[in-house]
Amino acid sequence: MNEIESSLPNASLNDGVQWTTVGGVQVPVELLAPAWPDPFLDVEEYDPDGDLMVLNMGPQHPSTHGVLRVKLVLDGEICIKCVPYLGYLHRGVEKLCERLSYVQITPIVDKNDYVSPMTNELAINMAFEALVGAEVPRRARYIRTICAEIQRVGSHLLWLGTFGLDMGGAIGGGGSIFMHTFRERELLLDLFEDLTGCRFHYNTHTVGGNRHDIPAGWADKAVKVLGIIGTRLNEYEDFVRDNHVFRARTVGVGMVDPKLAIELGVSGPVLRASGVDVDLRRDQPYAAYDEIEIAVPTETGGDCFARYLVRVAEMRESIRVATELLGGVPEGPICSLKPVKLPGAVKAKHGRGVYTAIESPRGELGTFVVGNPERRQSAIPYRCKIRSPSMHALQLLPYLCPGNNISDIIVTLGSLDPIMGEVDR
Amino acid sequence: MSWAEDATQLAVERFGLEVCEHEGPEVGTDRLVAFCRALKDELDFCFFVYVVSVHYPEVPPVEADAEAGVEATPGIPDRTVVNYRVRRLANGDRPTETFAFRTTVPTGGSTPTVSGVWVGADWQEREQYDLVGTVFSDHPDLRRIMMPEDWPGHPLRRDYAIETSHFPWR
Repeated sequence: MNEIESSLPNASLNDGVQWTTVGGVQVPVELLAPAWPDPFLDVEEYDPDGDLMVLNMGPQHPSTHGVLRVKLVLDGEICIKCVPYLGYLHRGVEKLCERLSYVQITPIVDKNDYVSPMTNELAINMAFEALVGAEVPRRARYIRTICAEIQRVGSHLLWLGTFGLDMGGAIGGGGSIFMHTFRERELLLDLFEDLTGCRFHYNTHTVGGNRHDIPAGWADKAVKVLGIIGTRLNEYEDFVRDNHVFRARTVGVGMVDPKLAIELGVSGPVLRASGVDVDLRRDQPYAAYDEIEIAVPTETGGDCFARYLVRVAEMRESIRVATELLGGVPEGPICSLKPVKLPGAVKAKHGRGVYTAIESPRGELGTFVVGNPERRQSAIPYRCKIRSPSMHALQLLPYLCPGNNISDIIVTLGSLDPIMGEVDR
Repeated sequence: MSWAEDATQLAVERFGLEVCEHEGPEVGTDRLVAFCRALKDELDFCFFVYVVSVHYPEVPPVEADAEAGVEATPGIPDRTVVNYRVRRLANGDRPTETFAFRTTVPTGGSTPTVSGVWVGADWQEREQYDLVGTVFSDHPDLRRIMMPEDWPGHPLRRDYAIETSHFPWR
């Protein structure tokens, strides 16, 4: 530990942690809370005189990452009860899925988690492939994995920028970290534009493979861009990690109890920052993840700073994985089915439910699809449910807020990285 | 032996349930909470994945017609099938695995909430109540979550009419 680091507020350290088994997995003992706050607290009973103040944060508050309304019951500046209200961005995606055929749904789900469209497409197409019984060629699986990893870097970069904004002027004066991360994200969007022709809503995955093959020279360009981002990440580390204000705002703020998080279904970086070593890419490999070793970064702090550390470590790991895979993309076809000319070309064979899940940048993104057994309708799902990781992360909020300042609530909300498009669907 | 096989064994031996190969056991609404408790406490299925209601409209009974060669089939009433899935996280040499089970709720009936077992079921049950109309009894806060409070009907039911002249695909 150098001189600067020892003078900083105490950061989470992985040494000397006591472990215990909860729910079949190892969790740090010190993160287990003796009791959880009651999210259904009766305010009238708690405060019969009516001295408490009710504050509505959102739905148009800049720090709510979209249109989320959080009703806070405040005693001075301390939160007593927190009730999130969702649904401001509900677009009926699941109802739309019951009207569109399997090949038409991909561009719709792009808009679910608008920060990482690639993983959305991958998640829903994997479920359709399981239902339809389509194989994915090896080259397509490699392209999918590379896209998912590059997308993870882009998504976490956006998170880092907006997390800086959440803390106001905490880092380098207002929005400078935001400007830096968006500069890097631009490079990744350029990469995807070269690959698919679109900067944001790609529609590149399809049932049975991909629609766009890697163009000539793309792999070299991608390796170069990932190298640039890897070096810039070191700059951010210098910029943010050892910043006194950043540490003061994040260390010890928003402690997530791993037992509660597992029961709530919270996954991804939030769970890993609480010491639970879980990653579907390694535990339940899909696409080409069974052909590559994935290191899963975990932290034992459980606070906002630990979640920052996990996300930065994940970006480095994603850069390594994507670079490695780009070096060995196998030759072959990119789609096992013939190019689709009619929307009804892909048909389900049975009316059973199928569930597949992937590790999106926010956690376990799953799709449950029930096929329509009727012959005339067999190209349309009977019921399609998207299990969004953001919704489960947001469920932590009523447990994290009570007892905290409003300013800490904003940092906590930012560190959970909810995307409202995915929560409301 | 995998985690899901352990859970299937529990369902068959302790609860006497019939297990469908692909969709897991069908649990009666009266024993649902006890089954969930056993899954969580004894087999460590702690991670809550989803609850999905699927609405199936009424199938009218068919009368036997000897001339046309039609056999009589009993009708199936209007119902909602509630699918649950929970995950056992990875530990040691056994990989992570999910386990699915379901219960059938006739329209107008209700099913007990499992949010007392897995707190993560809270919002998802509210969502299914809002969109499909399944009533979860004893839920601490059963309100609409996606649609406005005064919205008529439940949009994801199969009998919910959509007024549109445009059919994206038929």
